[in-house]
Amino acid sequence: MERSHAIKSTKQKTEMWIGIVFLSLFAIAMLYPVVYITLGSFKGNQELLSGGARLLPKKFVVSNYAEAWETANFSIYTANSIFLGVGTMILSVISCTMAGYVFARKSFRFKELLYSTFVAFMFVNVGSVTLRPLFELAVKVHLNTSLAFVVFIIAGTSQATQIFLCRGYVNSIPKELDEAAKIDGCTFFQIFYKILFPLLKPITATVALLSFRSGWNEYILPLVFTMTNDLLRPLTVGVNMLKNNGDGAAAWNIMFAGATLAIVPMIVIYCIFSRYFMQGMTAGAVKG
Amino acid sequence: MKNNGRTIRRKKEDGGLAAVLMMSPAVLMLIITSIYPFFWLFRYILYDYNGFTAYFTGLYNIKRMFTDTVFWASVGHTFEYAILKLVITLPLSLLIAVVISKNIPGSSLFRGIFFLPTVISASVYSLIFTFIYAVFRGPLNTMLQSIGLISAPIDWLGDPSWVMISIAIVAVWGGLGNYMVYFLSGLSSISSEIYESSMIDGANARQTFFRITLPMLSPMLKVILLLAITTSFKDYQSILVLTNGGPNNRSHVMFSYIYNLIFSSTSTPQIGYATVLSIMAALIIGAVTALYMVLARKLDDVV
Repeated sequence: MERSHAIKSTKQKTEMWIGIVFLSLFAIAMLYPVVYITLGSFKGNQELLSGGARLLPKKFVVSNYAEAWETANFSIYTANSIFLGVGTMILSVISCTMAGYVFARKSFRFKELLYSTFVAFMFVNVGSVTLRPLFELAVKVHLNTSLAFVVFIIAGTSQATQIFLCRGYVNSIPKELDEAAKIDGCTFFQIFYKILFPLLKPITATVALLSFRSGWNEYILPLVFTMTNDLLRPLTVGVNMLKNNGDGAAAWNIMFAGATLAIVPMIVIYCIFSRYFMQGMTAGAVKG
Repeated sequence: MKNNGRTIRRKKEDGGLAAVLMMSPAVLMLIITSIYPFFWLFRYILYDYNGFTAYFTGLYNIKRMFTDTVFWASVGHTFEYAILKLVITLPLSLLIAVVISKNIPGSSLFRGIFFLPTVISASVYSLIFTFIYAVFRGPLNTMLQSIGLISAPIDWLGDPSWVMISIAIVAVWGGLGNYMVYFLSGLSSISSEIYESSMIDGANARQTFFRITLPMLSPMLKVILLLAITTSFKDYQSILVLTNGGPNNRSHVMFSYIYNLIFSSTSTPQIGYATVLSIMAALIIGAVTALYMVLARKLDDVV
């Protein structure tokens, strides 16, 4: 590939520049909303309400964050978002790597049937109506007062792809390794825990990041579960509630600060680990 | 046969119990979060259920569905939304992927930027877009007015003729990166020797694209299209945030309409009726998917 740089003709060079200009224009359009909300979160409410296309704040204020954090419960919302993200991550990593390992290494009756059930329910989509029985179930077993059940549902509804990712990865590890460990006296679980799990790091990272993202970003599920309980809301729900509550214009600065709080941690994580996000996306799509 | 007892004992040593235990969290989640809600769906089909009490109403829900103009309009909007989204997203993301795969300077930075929206919650970026779409001195209207493209501000989310396009733009912004990455992984599987030999034969960029890239991408393209169709038919999260179906139900898709029947804070839940509509919606999406698969196979035979 490097070689072809050297022999580029002028025509290819112009093509290259057209490509760069084209991509740059789109890149600006893609970044605009993120930059707009982030910089906007440092504008005063008056400046936000008077509008305009200006990106940089005329006067730089940080009081929006203080106000959101202290008076608008955003400290609690942030804690709840972290709980959803980290909780989903831990549950998914544990459950999916184990299930992937069993699917890859164990033959048992009804394995194919179980496997295809996972696949089938990945494709069955009946929308939000399924949240109703889950909500009623949560009320019945008194789990509607914490976010634990929400974590359970998020992990459960996004697990299929992640199990397949893990299964595929375990399959790529030679079986001889298991056998050697078994001769050395490892049990089935110990082989997983001591030998394979450390080797699964790349796929564990992908599963961890994808599931953290689904927990952190989930909106409708926590919205439904926290209809009457403001203190359980994550950022996604909290910031949108401000809009629906009819405080409307008065709370624009808080909404800007809240939206920034909801997206910036995810963007930072993405900047560090972007490779894993893209890998997870393609592997999940092609193999799933 | 005489080894029977031994094999059973061996199996236990093989970790059958451990395997069951290790599989159980995933299976438990599957049962509770997917299988149980699915079968629950059929429970209230014949009832008027408001969350507390259920009244048997016979076939009323089904009759009501056939005369519910708002629902059938929402079916139309679902198609409108899906088609708008696909028609813009797929060619655009393919074009971007082709340009990025040309190894131009900064290509990994561009890839990173285009994929960025996919890590942001749809509910939050939709909220951001409601600010961008603001009617009076919102950034979009201000920009378009200052370069003279429009003379009066447009009510992007309140004008029935614009609202679907505005929603589709948000969907394109949020989904473009996904499809770009799919296409990039498809493109990377085409060997560079083919491109080199076509270059020697004097093919220009357009010929290379239509004669080599597109045909060689077609197996992958089919999978991508299938994914794109199924996901765009079930999107409704951004619509809930952007318009909640308004103005005057103009932007309700099937699932946003159903959501409001069950969880609306302003009216009594109509859960029985919503389950009937959900089954209908699932059937419609299933039919579209099946139709697509048949067409894709037919195309295979032709080409």
